[in-house]
Amino acid sequence: MAVLLRNLLRHSPEFRIGAVLIAVVLLLATLASVSPSPPEIVYVVPPDLPPSPTYWFGTTSRGQDVFWQLSFAIRNTLLFGCNVALTSRVIALTVGLISGYKGGWTDRALMSVNDTLIVIPLLPILVLFYFVMRDQISWLMLALIMACFGWAYDARLIRSVVMSLRAREFTQTCLFSGMSTRQILTEEHLPYVLPIVFSTTMNNMVWSIGLEVTLAVLGFTDIDRPTIGGMIYWANQHTAMVAGVWWWIAFPTLTVVVAFIGLFLLAVSANAYIDPRSRLWTTGGAS
Amino acid sequence: MHANVQQAETPGDVQPILRVRDLQAHYRTTHLGLRRGVRAVDGVSFNVRRGEIFGLAGESSSGKTTLIKSIAGVIRPPLEIVGGTVDFAFLPGFGGLHRAPPAELARIRWRHLSYIVQGSMSVLNPVRRVESAFLDFAYPHIGGHRKQFEQQVIAHLARMRLEPSVLTAFPHELSGGMRQRATLALATICRPDFIIADEPTTALDVLVQKEVLGMMRGIQRETGSSILLVTHDMGVHAHVTDRLGIMYAGRLVEEAATAEIFRNPLHPYTRHLISSLPRIGDDAPRAGLVGSPPNLADPPPGCRFHPRCPLATEICRGEVPAIREADNGHRVACFAVERGSRA
Amino acid sequence: MNHLLLDVCEVSKTFVRGGLLSRQTIAAVNQVSFQLVAGRPEILSVIGGSGGGKTTLARMILNIEAPTSGKLLLDGIDLAAITGSAARLAFMHKVQPIFQNPFESFNPLKRLDRYLFVTRRRFSGAAGQGTIEAAVDAALHKVGLSLEEVRHRYPHELSGGQLQRVAIARALLAEPKLLVADEPVSMIDASLRMSIVNLFRTLRDDLGISIIYITHDLATAYYVSDRIMIMQEGRIVECGDARTVLNAPRHSYTRQLRDAVLVPEVADAACGASPGIYDPTSPAAPERRT
Repeated sequence: MAVLLRNLLRHSPEFRIGAVLIAVVLLLATLASVSPSPPEIVYVVPPDLPPSPTYWFGTTSRGQDVFWQLSFAIRNTLLFGCNVALTSRVIALTVGLISGYKGGWTDRALMSVNDTLIVIPLLPILVLFYFVMRDQISWLMLALIMACFGWAYDARLIRSVVMSLRAREFTQTCLFSGMSTRQILTEEHLPYVLPIVFSTTMNNMVWSIGLEVTLAVLGFTDIDRPTIGGMIYWANQHTAMVAGVWWWIAFPTLTVVVAFIGLFLLAVSANAYIDPRSRLWTTGGAS
Repeated sequence: MHANVQQAETPGDVQPILRVRDLQAHYRTTHLGLRRGVRAVDGVSFNVRRGEIFGLAGESSSGKTTLIKSIAGVIRPPLEIVGGTVDFAFLPGFGGLHRAPPAELARIRWRHLSYIVQGSMSVLNPVRRVESAFLDFAYPHIGGHRKQFEQQVIAHLARMRLEPSVLTAFPHELSGGMRQRATLALATICRPDFIIADEPTTALDVLVQKEVLGMMRGIQRETGSSILLVTHDMGVHAHVTDRLGIMYAGRLVEEAATAEIFRNPLHPYTRHLISSLPRIGDDAPRAGLVGSPPNLADPPPGCRFHPRCPLATEICRGEVPAIREADNGHRVACFAVERGSRA
Repeated sequence: MNHLLLDVCEVSKTFVRGGLLSRQTIAAVNQVSFQLVAGRPEILSVIGGSGGGKTTLARMILNIEAPTSGKLLLDGIDLAAITGSAARLAFMHKVQPIFQNPFESFNPLKRLDRYLFVTRRRFSGAAGQGTIEAAVDAALHKVGLSLEEVRHRYPHELSGGQLQRVAIARALLAEPKLLVADEPVSMIDASLRMSIVNLFRTLRDDLGISIIYITHDLATAYYVSDRIMIMQEGRIVECGDARTVLNAPRHSYTRQLRDAVLVPEVADAACGASPGIYDPTSPAAPERRT
């Protein structure tokens, strides 16, 4: 693992840039723990002050320091994205591996569930959940619901890889060596599936964060908990753009864009490395 | 504007149609800091005369596929020609097709030089009918009236024992043998001076293989083209070729008339190769060669066959044997043969 | 001994192609029957052109595919009745495959010794690492390799011939009675082929393993088999002792196949070589040779 990271850092400029960007964002997120005041409290500092040496990112109309607010916001947003991505990866992998390997009725049953979930439009459902749950809607609930909808597309991708691997001769060799299905799936087929999992994780994070921001901007989440979307929501409530308080919207947007670009670069460069063809190449295999 | 189809040179002309001099082609790649160089072709020289079928025999990692790619000018990174020249009589002065300008290449392709790739099934576009391949590739060189061209194509297909209905079929509707014959027809319809054929019958049934080889020979005799035939199958070489070159690990180790090579192989590798092949009706025990072909990224020093050679001596491990004339027209690259010892 | 190791009874396999309006049934294997007797190990070659159904037959014997009609019995057990992992394991203990492409037989991302160790562990019961390694080394020695050469290696680090031998060693670790080899040497260099073919002979003589050797190469089939079975379009057209079938074929298809073999030698017309082997329609033009 360490060798992998070192190689990537040394040889891949995309990885280096991505790593730097993500490091900056993560630094910002971790600084939240040393914030001078909890994020829910308002009117701590003079409102509507532009960026200056005292308040690096300026202050909001609600009297909060944008910098510290942002550190909480990006932390929550990233955590949310990670949660959704991880949960949905687990579901996607399980469904994809089993469905692709078993085939037959198992495959058909799982894929019909899969396709139903792909087809259902997510935004109206989430809005519906919000209206039904209202005050009980928590951040964790939202993450869970989104995870339940976020695995369908990728399960199909994983399934098609597994289906082609199933037909390859080395799978027969494994079977005739006495390996169990579980062993074959996790030890033999998983390395081929990992590049997809990796790139779809990034996709998924970007998607979930984007959706969360959308919902928050519309006010359909727990708005007391600071997130990027929440900040933009409040900015809109106070008509920040019209009032000329551009820093309230600009810095959250900029931070989330930097986070996305960093994640993307990491995914792309790591993917090139994890891809079996590339690994075969570096160990001296097929050209 | 369109060149007329001329009569190809009569066989027996002395001037060679292809001269390869000291060709070296390597694969050079860099990936994530790892540099690899595979010396696939390392100093190969030979001539092909007009009207001659020249065979190149060799096994995996012998470099024969890289060699014909270099001759045909199909050079794409990571493959690089690092030395030597390839001279066709109809394209003098460039030292290799990869150095010639696109206009010259367009002039000679199909008309003077055609290339039958391995797995010819893939030459034909699967979503278009067979006739589109003829129209796209051959018609620009032959020109004339469209109807006349179609008649020419049908006559040519008949030589391959293919019905005219083949033209209106899609490739997947034809059997493997029919596709191969169609590709052969496509490659020979402009009566090129030189045909490069890479494993033209490997994927075919034995019965179909014999037919296709017979047709190849027939067409060649009629048009007087030269063919450079590359295959690992010694039976095919014995059946079809006039001269034979044996490649091992990127180098040419023996070259002579085919009959001569089978009657009197000199190089230890050739001798073992030929004697290890079983024959129907012959119960004599046979043995394979010991060891395995060398890794071309890290080949053994000196003669590349020495780790597996029963006649290897000190000089074989240190120096590279040059290919020298041993008999009339029979060239070998082996110190033991020069010394006079026999395998 | 009358007990049959393998009993193939009127086995057919048909594939259906086409949609609702135009269905085409293709019989890949058509009413094939033959037997292998237990206690008398032999090498049976199955020969035929492409599309002759040889690979489909092999897959049915290996229980990878089920026949459309007919029965296959291994050691008296009907293959269709094998369900459950214990029964499957017992089946694989008796029959093992060798595939055509040695590079496809192993996962290119994994080390080779892994498969050898797993096979040994699954088929011979629990044992310490030392015992397992000794057994693996012994199996590799039987095929002319050793554990030192193969340990920690990836498939692409070995040549085709070596890799195919590792595949055979792996199959041997299951201690099978029958090996089904589907074109095992067609993708291997000619110079390395004979060592594998000779190895089959050794397996039959020293270890008492029967081998079903599927190939399109009549020369190696002649060299190594006891019996030969010729298949044309899914049917058996001729079957019998190897020498008899190839030296004096009775069916026209066998004769055609034999005549199509390209002998790796040039018959010099002046020396009066036998015309039956060399194709008389392609003349050696002496005036063009040096």
